[in-house]
Amino acid sequence: MEDLQLIRAVERFLYREADLMDSHRYDDWFALWDEELRYWVPCNADDIDPARQVSLIYDNRGQLEDRLYRLKGRHAHAQRPRSRLMRAISNVIVESADSEIVKARSQFVLGEVRLDRQIVWLGRSLHTLVRRGDNFMIREKTVLLLNNDAPMGNLTFLI
Amino acid sequence: MAKIGTAQNGSSVHNGSSNGHGAADRYSIDGLRAMVRPGEIHSALYTDPAIFELEIERIFHRSWVYIGHESEVPNGGDYRLRSIGRQPVMMVRGADGVVRVLMNRCRHRGAIVCETESGNEKIFRCWFHGWTYDTTGRLMSISLPDGYGEDFDMKAHSLSPAPRVGNYRGFMFASIGTDGPSLTEYLGEASKMIDLLIDSSPTREIEVDAGCNKTVYNGNWKMVGMDGYHPNFVHASAVEMWQRKADTGMGATHRSNPFGNKTSTVTRSLGHGHAMLDLRKQRLEHYEDYEPFLRSLPGGPEFIDAIIARDGEDAGRRLIASAGDPHVGIFPNMQIIHNQVRIITPLAPGKTEVFMFPVLLKGVSAQINAQRLRQHESFYGPASAGSPDDAEIFERTQRGMMAQVDPWLDISRGIHREYVDTDGTIVGHATDEVPQREQIRQWLKMMTGDEAESSAALSA
Repeated sequence: MEDLQLIRAVERFLYREADLMDSHRYDDWFALWDEELRYWVPCNADDIDPARQVSLIYDNRGQLEDRLYRLKGRHAHAQRPRSRLMRAISNVIVESADSEIVKARSQFVLGEVRLDRQIVWLGRSLHTLVRRGDNFMIREKTVLLLNNDAPMGNLTFLI
Repeated sequence: MAKIGTAQNGSSVHNGSSNGHGAADRYSIDGLRAMVRPGEIHSALYTDPAIFELEIERIFHRSWVYIGHESEVPNGGDYRLRSIGRQPVMMVRGADGVVRVLMNRCRHRGAIVCETESGNEKIFRCWFHGWTYDTTGRLMSISLPDGYGEDFDMKAHSLSPAPRVGNYRGFMFASIGTDGPSLTEYLGEASKMIDLLIDSSPTREIEVDAGCNKTVYNGNWKMVGMDGYHPNFVHASAVEMWQRKADTGMGATHRSNPFGNKTSTVTRSLGHGHAMLDLRKQRLEHYEDYEPFLRSLPGGPEFIDAIIARDGEDAGRRLIASAGDPHVGIFPNMQIIHNQVRIITPLAPGKTEVFMFPVLLKGVSAQINAQRLRQHESFYGPASAGSPDDAEIFERTQRGMMAQVDPWLDISRGIHREYVDTDGTIVGHATDEVPQREQIRQWLKMMTGDEAESSAALSA
């Protein structure tokens, strides 16, 4: 039963994160992150070495801050107009949990509509969450896009 | 110069019939030539499907095109699938160590013999009827060979090599065209810009095996060029982002705007359609800003010392300041910008793929190479601060050009102040459209087969 409670809490957290990303609430989303963070979206394959291979995103705190600073400004053309987003999070699995760290895996289906085009993005997210009372903060998040080896257009919204 | 289609009405090329020329004339030599005027080009160059077909045939299937780098296929049997225009090829290192560019097409009934993007194989088997080829392209065996007579010539059924293949210091080029200038002649001055990248490694060796950001945009392939006029607008958000962190590597080189009115950056056309944003002088002026950042990285001091010991203080500083970035476009499908080599592939008049291959340097610390990747990711690729804004503006341009009341595009900026440098290259202000004119000059030359007329067409 304790297990179920933990899964519910992780799901609740991931749903909230999804809401913030869908609605471009950059500051609120950034507030979910722990001080020392790693936000990684590998490119070409899921299991690359980021020190030797190029990623789509490999942000530390400073880089993520830059990313959001730019998106909040008025001249990030690729988000003018903004992507309208709606994602469903599912297949949530708690992979490991101790008193401090919870590791969770989940999948998403993300619909993006921009300039009359609808694109469906699919992927798997790996979260390393730090317990903070009844809540969590994100220490690491890795997003394994299903199409990370295919040519893609605009990925300037939050995933 | 023939004046067909250049009536007073700016849209005369579209309204061919109104001045006595049918639609077909638009695609004649004279019709194509009429789409290029001094400082102006017709937007049909970007939107017309028939012109696009001619470009594939006359440019991509005739010119030297960049295929890939030797370091992508280090071992015998390593291969990468690429294309020349629309034609599928494989860059493969044979068991004999030779890197070849072979047409990916079975000599029996035409199926591709290799279907995955990259890998290592001992043989290439066509799974239609089982013909097999070795890694040099030689036909090794035919299934049920009794069906062929004794005079069947196995040797004449090897995988077809690209008619011409050239290797410039590890960069592999190929051409479907059987004649034309040699690769050395074609690259000309641009080969020195490839040198700038390679020589920025202390051992003069690079590795182009760090994966690839693959992007696609709904716009014409000719848009992705060297443009020093656009950064302050297209990349306003990134410029603002860097300027608030002027002590980082990228920020340091932007303490003074490299594309501002007073900059020492220039545009430079190198002939054969090749052109660059020549940042060399501007970067050298900011050596003192950039050097401490490089020095602060693990392996930074050793890197700096190795280059200066090898090339001397002056040449070494120039090379370090440039950070291996010639910022050059090599017509028609290659660019070397910042830490990457790009391949540009036209798919349709309004659809283009840009594959970005970050380059790692040999003889430097792992941290310096990791830093090169991070710098690349920050501005290039689908999730970065730069490329998506470029793509967005290209797409807006492709949409805007559908307005055809006045279909001419102005590429005249700086035409009155460009000058020929001592080495024969044409130079303009950082924001001038010297590269656009160079690209179109080569475009017209290849589309019409007429060198002299094409060179004169864009002049003031």
